[in-house]
Amino acid sequence: MQTTESKGLLILFYACIAVFSAICLVPFVLAVSGSLSTESRIAAEGYSFWPRGFTFETYEFLFGSKAEQILRAYSMSVVVTVLGTLTAVLVTTAYAYVISVKGFKLKNFFAFFAYFTMLFSGGTLPWYLLSTKYYHLGDTLLGLFIPYVLSVFLMFLMANYFRSIPHEIVESAQIDGAGHLRIFFSIMIPLGRVGLITISLFYALQFWNDFYLPLMLVSDQDLYTIQYLMYNMMANIQFLASGNAAQVGGAIIAPPLETAKMAMTCLTVLPIAILYPFLQRFFVKGIVVGSVKG
Amino acid sequence: MIQEAAPEKPGRQSLSLKLKAARTGSLRKSLRKDSSLYLLALPGIIILILFAYLPMSGLILVFKNYNYNDGIFGSPWAGFSNFEFFFSSMEDALRATRNTVMLNALYMLTGTFFSVAIAVILNELRSKWFIKVTQSVMFFPYFISWIIIGAILFSLLDYDKGILNQLFQSLGLAQMDWYSSPWLFVIILVLANIWKSAGYGAIIYYAVLQGIDTSYYEAARIDGASRWQIITKITIPMLIPSIILMTLLGIGGMLKGDLSMIMGVTFLNPLLLPTTDIIDVYVYRTAIRSGEFGFASAITLYQSVFGFILVLLANKLAGWYDKDSKLF
Repeated sequence: MQTTESKGLLILFYACIAVFSAICLVPFVLAVSGSLSTESRIAAEGYSFWPRGFTFETYEFLFGSKAEQILRAYSMSVVVTVLGTLTAVLVTTAYAYVISVKGFKLKNFFAFFAYFTMLFSGGTLPWYLLSTKYYHLGDTLLGLFIPYVLSVFLMFLMANYFRSIPHEIVESAQIDGAGHLRIFFSIMIPLGRVGLITISLFYALQFWNDFYLPLMLVSDQDLYTIQYLMYNMMANIQFLASGNAAQVGGAIIAPPLETAKMAMTCLTVLPIAILYPFLQRFFVKGIVVGSVKG
Repeated sequence: MIQEAAPEKPGRQSLSLKLKAARTGSLRKSLRKDSSLYLLALPGIIILILFAYLPMSGLILVFKNYNYNDGIFGSPWAGFSNFEFFFSSMEDALRATRNTVMLNALYMLTGTFFSVAIAVILNELRSKWFIKVTQSVMFFPYFISWIIIGAILFSLLDYDKGILNQLFQSLGLAQMDWYSSPWLFVIILVLANIWKSAGYGAIIYYAVLQGIDTSYYEAARIDGASRWQIITKITIPMLIPSIILMTLLGIGGMLKGDLSMIMGVTFLNPLLLPTTDIIDVYVYRTAIRSGEFGFASAITLYQSVFGFILVLLANKLAGWYDKDSKLF
């Protein structure tokens, strides 16, 4: 009796997880299928989980007449992700090292200096005015990553990794006459590489997916990232549909709009999907460590 | 005993002695040593000042009659007129606050429920490869930006071409105009949030469950407890402290809105604003897009101050609940 009840429950559990996992993947099937459909059939019959009139026309269109725009946005995203991640990792690990040095008198002060910004924030508006009017970050490459190069959360995560490095190693290096710069670059960075990879991945994901910074700071089309280009395509369609076209800048991409959106979706998700299987475990580790240590 | 341990001890002692000597060395030397620490912290300090501390001081904007040429600090003082404006258009402020808190509360409740459910169920399953594969799949949406989710949602929800309306039609039901039904769209936002972050949240709870001593389960099984009893009497009670803690800490973020989410999923569709006009969206619409700074500055200050109070309260509660979890 009990075992049959138990077994039934177990089958139900397997089913629940299988269904939810399927739901997590189905939207991507929709996107791939949409990108391989013909525009006219989508317009007439609607979206579908199976391509309507299997064709590569949309991709030919994107890499043909729109190639320059797409490739520019794509390479802008790559540049922002690479530059942003490199800068962020350097700034973050250096700060994390400082607050993890044993015996440094001001380490608690520096830790609180960073922590306080998680508690209290001036909000979007002063941030926006300072960034555009005073720091002149509007329409600059710098503006697309500099504001995000120190995530306090990731900094504390990194500091935890540094603290787990045996202190004896640092002590013996100090006795050998190594200064903090030397210890940081030739001991802490190599020994903290798991932490380093973890925070690099979190940063890279954030920079690749970000469209807040371009939304706030960019109007020059040469600086559009792939996410922001995507946003403009979507917003244009939406506003055209609701009769508010004047609210957004001129149309960026001419038809085939529906299939182009889906193709862009696939192109944007593709790099993440390719790297995901290899990198996933670092994210899991980072989340678990981060949630335990706050 | 002492002698046995001896070979190790002298080494350590001499090490710390040497270190002491190094520490009590010339003051200049230690200052120079520390100076490289300041150098390392400097980039971070600059970033924090530029993008966190100066914006805090920018909150004086609320007492200013802002104009672009004079900037934040040069614009003429306006006394409390921005607040008067704030109270005179209280309706907007209340709507934005209500939407922010309502959406955050819904995200938190449903997100926690699904994350915990996934973690508890995964904990019951025995097939290693099944757990591994499904966990990876359920975590994947966390890596997708809101704008991409918005694009895919559009193909599900669009009135003419959307999958859902095709389905409704084939079932003989009325088609739904999701993008002009603000209250129905709340459901969409909540479901989208579950889709994106339930797998992420489950990782934390699953990690907690992996840490539970297996002897509890063994004892329960020997006593003849059913699977359901084990879940409700052992697994879930074990998770309660983490759930309460995560919820309390979540209270601190109740007034923070996700502009990217609303922009990505609704494209600022005016028809949806009755429920999607959260504080961050309001500030973006009125100030950054339309250049009306007075009211937006007042609501920004209000969000900052009340947000701060909420964070302090959340920490206090979390600390009261569990001393170790207190963040400061």
